[in-house]
Amino acid sequence: MNRIRNIDRSRRLRLGILGAVAISLFIPLVARLWYLQILNETEFIERVQDNTTEEIIEKAPRGRILDISGRVLVDNRQSIVVTIDKEEMASLRSSKLDDLFFDLAKEISLSGKLTKVAQIEASYKSERYGPFAKVPVVSDISKELQVYLAEYSYKWPGVGTTVVTVRDYPYGTLAAHLLGYVGSLSEDEIGQVQNAEKTYLANDEIGKAGIELFYENALRGTPGRKTVIVDKFNNILDVVEEIPARAGSDVQLTIDIDLQAMAEDYLKEGLDTARQQPTKFEEEGVIIYKAPAGAMIVMNPQDGSVLAMASYPTYDPELFVSGISQSEFDDLIDPGNSLPLLNRVIQGTYPPGSTFKPFTAYAALDTGLIGSRGILGVNSMYLDEGIFTIPTCEGGTCQFQNAGGLPNGEVDLRLALTYSSDVYFYNLAAHFDILPGFDLESPQVAAEYFGFGSPSGITLANENGGRIPTPDSRREAYRQNPEAFLTDKWLTGDTLNTSIGQGDVLATPLQIANAYSALINGGTLFAPNIGLRTINPITGETEVAFQPRITRELYLPDPIISPIIDGLAGVTTWRRSDNGQEGTAYSAFLNFPHEDWPVSGKTGTSEKQSLEGLIADYALFVGWGPNPEPEYVAAVILEEAGFGGAVAAPIVRRYFEQVAYGIVPRHLSIEEADDLARQQAQELTDTSAEIEAIADTSSIGSGG
Amino acid sequence: MSDLGWQRRRTSLNPSGSPISPWLHIDLALILSCLALGVTGVLMFYSATRGSDPTMYDKSFMSRHTLFLVVGTLLMLITSSIPYRRLRDLVPIVFWGSALLLLLVLTPLGVERNGTRAWFEFGQFQLQPSEFCKVAFIFALASYLERFNGYLNQKAIVNALFLAAIPLGLILLETDVGSALVFVAITMGMLLVAGAQTRHIFFMTVAGVLGIIVIWSTGLLQQYQRDRLTSFIDPASSQTEAAYQQTQAQIAIGSGGLRGQGFGEGQQTRGEFVPEQHTDFLFSVVGEEVGFIGAIAVLCLFGVVIWRVWRTAKKSADLLGTLICVGVLTMIVFQMFQSIGMTLGIMPITGIPLPFVSYGGSSSITSFVAVGLVLNVHMRRYEVVR
Repeated sequence: MNRIRNIDRSRRLRLGILGAVAISLFIPLVARLWYLQILNETEFIERVQDNTTEEIIEKAPRGRILDISGRVLVDNRQSIVVTIDKEEMASLRSSKLDDLFFDLAKEISLSGKLTKVAQIEASYKSERYGPFAKVPVVSDISKELQVYLAEYSYKWPGVGTTVVTVRDYPYGTLAAHLLGYVGSLSEDEIGQVQNAEKTYLANDEIGKAGIELFYENALRGTPGRKTVIVDKFNNILDVVEEIPARAGSDVQLTIDIDLQAMAEDYLKEGLDTARQQPTKFEEEGVIIYKAPAGAMIVMNPQDGSVLAMASYPTYDPELFVSGISQSEFDDLIDPGNSLPLLNRVIQGTYPPGSTFKPFTAYAALDTGLIGSRGILGVNSMYLDEGIFTIPTCEGGTCQFQNAGGLPNGEVDLRLALTYSSDVYFYNLAAHFDILPGFDLESPQVAAEYFGFGSPSGITLANENGGRIPTPDSRREAYRQNPEAFLTDKWLTGDTLNTSIGQGDVLATPLQIANAYSALINGGTLFAPNIGLRTINPITGETEVAFQPRITRELYLPDPIISPIIDGLAGVTTWRRSDNGQEGTAYSAFLNFPHEDWPVSGKTGTSEKQSLEGLIADYALFVGWGPNPEPEYVAAVILEEAGFGGAVAAPIVRRYFEQVAYGIVPRHLSIEEADDLARQQAQELTDTSAEIEAIADTSSIGSGG
Repeated sequence: MSDLGWQRRRTSLNPSGSPISPWLHIDLALILSCLALGVTGVLMFYSATRGSDPTMYDKSFMSRHTLFLVVGTLLMLITSSIPYRRLRDLVPIVFWGSALLLLLVLTPLGVERNGTRAWFEFGQFQLQPSEFCKVAFIFALASYLERFNGYLNQKAIVNALFLAAIPLGLILLETDVGSALVFVAITMGMLLVAGAQTRHIFFMTVAGVLGIIVIWSTGLLQQYQRDRLTSFIDPASSQTEAAYQQTQAQIAIGSGGLRGQGFGEGQQTRGEFVPEQHTDFLFSVVGEEVGFIGAIAVLCLFGVVIWRVWRTAKKSADLLGTLICVGVLTMIVFQMFQSIGMTLGIMPITGIPLPFVSYGGSSSITSFVAVGLVLNVHMRRYEVVR
């Protein structure tokens, strides 16, 4: 009995232990629940949001670029792109991979888009993409191929297609330089746009050059942002917030596409003509007219807006759409190919040559070197014997010749400009240097006053500021590169060279055109505009209108400006009946409708070393009209092409002829041209059918 | 035996008769707590599986889960209605029968899921013999240990361990570590109350630890199974699926806070971020949607169940009843602690269902039948033991 009681007690004890153990197990559970749910609730709520909330960025279309009459110069279009999945490809054997790439290249080529295996391989191996990326390999494939690839996807492991929006150029290569192009963000650019208002993603496109670059902020669309709740498999369960994508603004330019097309055509034709000049043998060496490159700009001098901007050679912006290869890009930036990517109008710097003389004349008139206290009166004649000797020569070259070495005879300031007498200006320059009370840097001051030596401020990126040499800058240049100069001293000869836009003077075609604009519009120096306004793509309303920007008002009283203007008017019109002496562009403008559309101009022929080390003549011409209140100023420069009056002036003459007669040809977009060709072909068949019909009737008639 | 039969008959024919009539002593608290847990399970299961689009919801699993609950409840009542001392006659058949099933499940007749070969498949339904075997084993061990009247000698212990070794060994061959641990817990609990000596318990504990070391160091477990068992220690550093599962479960529970996100409102649950959230990890849904309060309520329901079973063990008319209750108690306690602890990240992942709550026919039915046995003991606690 006792034992049973003991056992009974023991059993109660053991049950008690069991119960205690059971209860004690609740403690860690409750404690842990407390820890997770009460103490760390916030942290876990955040982690749930990390899990379930996702932001989807929806790309917004980029704004279009329009010309002044609203014609679309840059548009967007859909492109079907073949992609390969790197992750999936990595699991394939390399021999299988080779076969796949071969078959893929073959299939794409068969569909009409010539594709090399190497091209696919290069894209596949490109470092640009991460190991899980779907790499775009070939763009712009046909819809049929897309369907085929999707249908037989089992044959094409890892190969897919996607549709992307790319830039479209309805006018082909036209205006390529000024429009620029877009490309994927580079490492540097990623840093720059980090805080941009419109979010950029790693593979987004950004303007790289031209208008695309300068108006990037306006053109870029505002990406849409969608906050969604997703499940583990990334299925969207809910949309929490949705900010729709907003298309970028359209940018309208001051460019007129007809004027632009004409500028490009005439520039190219002018270069072709220049190339046909016979090779010249001179004492200094052989001159071959290679005429590899050139530039032309047309502006409205009254408001500083750019109407046309042509640079030759040019490139096809389409190259950048489907992804340009390294070798293709290298070709575009190769000096041997004359740097097709360079926009010579704003980036090419040339010695302005004689086109610089009006500004030296301004310096002489302004400082009084020509005038009562100076060496000459405005109308005083000076004998140009074709050669000028520096009166107090201290070394270096002491004798300076006219271009060609021929004398111009008795010239006043007007005729000196009309005939482009170097000796007259050498005389002025020498006296700036040696005459007490005058500053040898006066021509430079005047040039800078007219905008030379610093960027004009045009609304395009990467503009070159050119160079106006001074004694200080010479010393600095000598210090940096002693072998290029004989001495670090500024000699009188340097002042002489500077006065006629030679020596170290460099200017862009834009700077020349812009300086002349100020000269002929009464003295307003503009920062040239190429953008007219931005337009809301949906409403079509103006968002921002870009007003003319004035850099400064110049001091141009009539006594100073009228002799210069008169002299320049003679360049295209003056011919002495007695000895046949004529303005440097007289023959180029012979029979031009001067009465209806008065034109002035200035020729220039500058010397610059060519790539091969030969001295080559750079032909320049600046012309404007209709006087007295010109609406057009055009500057042309042809590299290694001969005399300005002979090869550059005719281009402007032909150009202005079209403008003066109001017969600027309407330039068609590629699509319009195709339609027209089709239409004409149709008409032709119709006509021949008609003729046949007539022939038939007549044969019937004759038969009867 | 014939007396008992007569007594039972008379009781059911004359309900107003003897005050010791078993039907007067049904433990309603136990039944209601179990049913409450079962209903909670069904609701949470709905939330875990309804997915994103309610119109697309496939109700078949939901109705099956409800069916298991109903069948389980019925089986519980049936089990409780036949006096357990009579049921003892069936023990050899049931025990060896379930052992045979455990053997058969290892043959190609069984199917493998998550690396564990533990199921028979009949059309849409799966049968997990290791679950049913738990009840059979509890009853069998109780029947054997009863005869020692509360004092176990060495021989009895050894025999009991041999008895336990049969299902345990077979389940380990299935590599179902979790279920095997349940058997270990049941055996330990029952031996304790049946009167095992302190030194025996000490010795068995040591042997158990050694056994774990042996199992761990031999190649019995696959790498992913090891991962599942160790990932809870430092889930952040581990890249395994198991670590992900536990981390996600804790995120779900933690984000529930005090009141929870609301029924059907758990983002983590809706997004199906916790793998197996509708089965073994169902408690994560509880934590996220009904919060700390709800989770504590569920624990309280388990508390009531455990209290009632423990009370029955104490009040049982005989040692057999006590041992049955102890077996069921340890089974429920261990499974609850392991299953909830796993979702909370304080226990390794073993794939043990949460009794009454988790989806799974075999598990539901087993739990209810086990409770049916306890009810059985409770109802007959005043009957004279011959």
